[in-house]
Amino acid sequence: VRRPRLRRAVPALLCVLGLSTAACTSSGDDAKPNAKNASSTSVLDDVKTRGKLRCGVNKDVPGFGFLTPAGTYAGFDIDYCKAIAAAVIGDSNAVEYKPLAAAQRFPALKTKEIDVLARNTTANATRDGSDGATFATTTFYDGQGLMVKSSSKFKAVTDLKDTAICVLTGTTTELNLASQFRGRGIAYEPKPFETVDTLRQAFVSGACDAWTSDKSQLAGIRSTWPAESGGPAALTILPDTLSKEPLAPAVLDGDSKWASAVNWVVLATIQAEEFKLTQGNVDQMRTETTDPDVKRFLGVPLEAGKPPFDPGLGLPVDFAYKVTKQIGNYAEIYDRNVGPNTALGLPRGQNALWTSGGLLYAQPYR
Amino acid sequence: VKGTRVRFGVRRLRRVAVQLVFLVAIGGMVAWLGSNLSANLRRLGFSTDYSFLSQPAGFDIAGSDFDSSSTVLEAMRVGTRNTIQASAVGIVLATALGLTVGICRLSPNWLLRRLGTMFVETFRNVPVLVIILFMYLAVVLKFPPIEQPLRPLGLAVVSNRGIWLPAPLRGFVPLVSVLVLGAVVAAVVTAALARRGARRRGLAGGGILLVALIAAWASAGAGLSVPQQAGRVVTGGIRVQAGMVALVAGLVLYTSTHIGELVRASIQAVPKGQGEAAEALGLSSSQRLRLVVIPQALRIMVPPLANQYLNLTKNSSLGVAVGFAELTLVTRVATSSASPAPQAISVLMGVYLALSLLIAAATNLLNRRLLAAGQR
Repeated sequence: VRRPRLRRAVPALLCVLGLSTAACTSSGDDAKPNAKNASSTSVLDDVKTRGKLRCGVNKDVPGFGFLTPAGTYAGFDIDYCKAIAAAVIGDSNAVEYKPLAAAQRFPALKTKEIDVLARNTTANATRDGSDGATFATTTFYDGQGLMVKSSSKFKAVTDLKDTAICVLTGTTTELNLASQFRGRGIAYEPKPFETVDTLRQAFVSGACDAWTSDKSQLAGIRSTWPAESGGPAALTILPDTLSKEPLAPAVLDGDSKWASAVNWVVLATIQAEEFKLTQGNVDQMRTETTDPDVKRFLGVPLEAGKPPFDPGLGLPVDFAYKVTKQIGNYAEIYDRNVGPNTALGLPRGQNALWTSGGLLYAQPYR
Repeated sequence: VKGTRVRFGVRRLRRVAVQLVFLVAIGGMVAWLGSNLSANLRRLGFSTDYSFLSQPAGFDIAGSDFDSSSTVLEAMRVGTRNTIQASAVGIVLATALGLTVGICRLSPNWLLRRLGTMFVETFRNVPVLVIILFMYLAVVLKFPPIEQPLRPLGLAVVSNRGIWLPAPLRGFVPLVSVLVLGAVVAAVVTAALARRGARRRGLAGGGILLVALIAAWASAGAGLSVPQQAGRVVTGGIRVQAGMVALVAGLVLYTSTHIGELVRASIQAVPKGQGEAAEALGLSSSQRLRLVVIPQALRIMVPPLANQYLNLTKNSSLGVAVGFAELTLVTRVATSSASPAPQAISVLMGVYLALSLLIAAATNLLNRRLLAAGQR
């Protein structure tokens, strides 16, 4: 009676041992390729072989990143996703959009669920440091503001004593709000929300007196305020600016090749505006220009028969041409999505070229 | 006989050995996973310690003294307090409503029975998150604005920023603690008197409870603090945040349907013969329920009831959807500012685990008592 039992026990024991050794060996195998991936292959190569750019975006902010009624994504940040795809893959439509909530975006970047984050994200030290993001050149200089109902008595931040203020959780806005109001000694109550929809309902019903966010986003929300609620005129953005919010695309730390590529796509849009290259004239300029700087920029050989200029960024030599042709220069991207003739109606302000008193300045392409 | 004993010993040894090997294998696995995680985090340049808990939080939490210069640990403490408050109130209300619904479902009254069924089938079959969002967007936000609140009986302030209720002058803590103490004393004295077979022991217990009630009232300030509203500021009373109102309402509606079904099922699970036997002994219908049916039903009810309490406590994390600063929301805000997610979430899990184990321990105690009473 006893022996069969022993026979049954032995395989079970072996099984346990086998399981643990299997786990050990697989752990060794797993660890090595991972380490290799991190050091030698860049996301730049991954995107090229995949033929698709995975872009983390917003779907709720008109003008910057939103889902149109037709089911397509549009906006300023979306155009930068397209520009990167045009530069790396050659096709501005080769983008897979991943809509992300504010609190999800850095985890999504860390877990390599997305290649690049273009979701009205403020560049700051913590995000550059412990959040593991590397930021490209700022695409939009923004600032935090407060929006109130026009019918209210609030005219400035100092009027907001003892108010409730709606804010999205997981944003720098929430932290700025705390430090700014503390600094000014204004008692207030934060109302944190996960989604814009719930926040909007709370604001409409008067559960909070003000809505704080980046001014560009507030302008976007104001522009699409429904007519039955009084239209854009029913809302006022207070003149105070609570913080600097430089919005920039971000990639994961530890991949400088990819970071450089993304950065130079942003710089190319700025440089294209400086060269007065537009979607309309770039084909013509490419054949007719005599300016060596423009020739280098568009990937045209300086002299016939010689190879075109390649700075070794890992991007095609004519990436700037592709970006300009398919998406346009910075001014075109700006005017199309958020400029004075759009619903947002934001003046260029700080987001003008350095030659016209703005902050946009591209490093030389040579 | 001797041979059998030896064999028994060997078999036992073998069993212990197999289990030991298992334990070592599982322990090794966990250790390997843990070291893998921390090695990878280090490789990616993330911190693996818990020093973030003593860093300043940088954000504010509504409805508390907490401000942005306090530490992350303090923020999580406030979050835990809010979670406990919402769960405790939710458990009490869900039990009361659940009992009512369960009894309604068994009522001989046609209308009550149908209403009970309708209630159960409506709220049991809608996701609890949907109920909470509905309560917030369609009910709480439709309360009047803070400048013109409802003042039922002049005692409370009801607005879409929250509900302020009258409270004892020195708060609820002295009131509840003295009351609990009084109840314990009353229970002990009544039990002692019962053992001696004293008559009128109920009267003695009731007297002690009455004294405790008066003492509790006196220690809580012997008066009411009634909330007063002026503009956007409310002073006095105790505040229930708008998010908590919606959260607790949603949790109570959802959980009470399950508790109601439990109550109904447990009462029906008591064999019919028990009631009939009690009737044959000449017990009245209320005595039949109180002395025969309910004690047996309780024994069936308590273990699954504990599950419902655990679910309610864990579901309170859905407060994140309506902006109520319970522990999950606080942790999310902390991780999105500067706190490392794996460590912060491990703290979050630890707190939920502790709360759940506490509830399980309390209901187990109750269960053991009920079983003991049954065996006596």
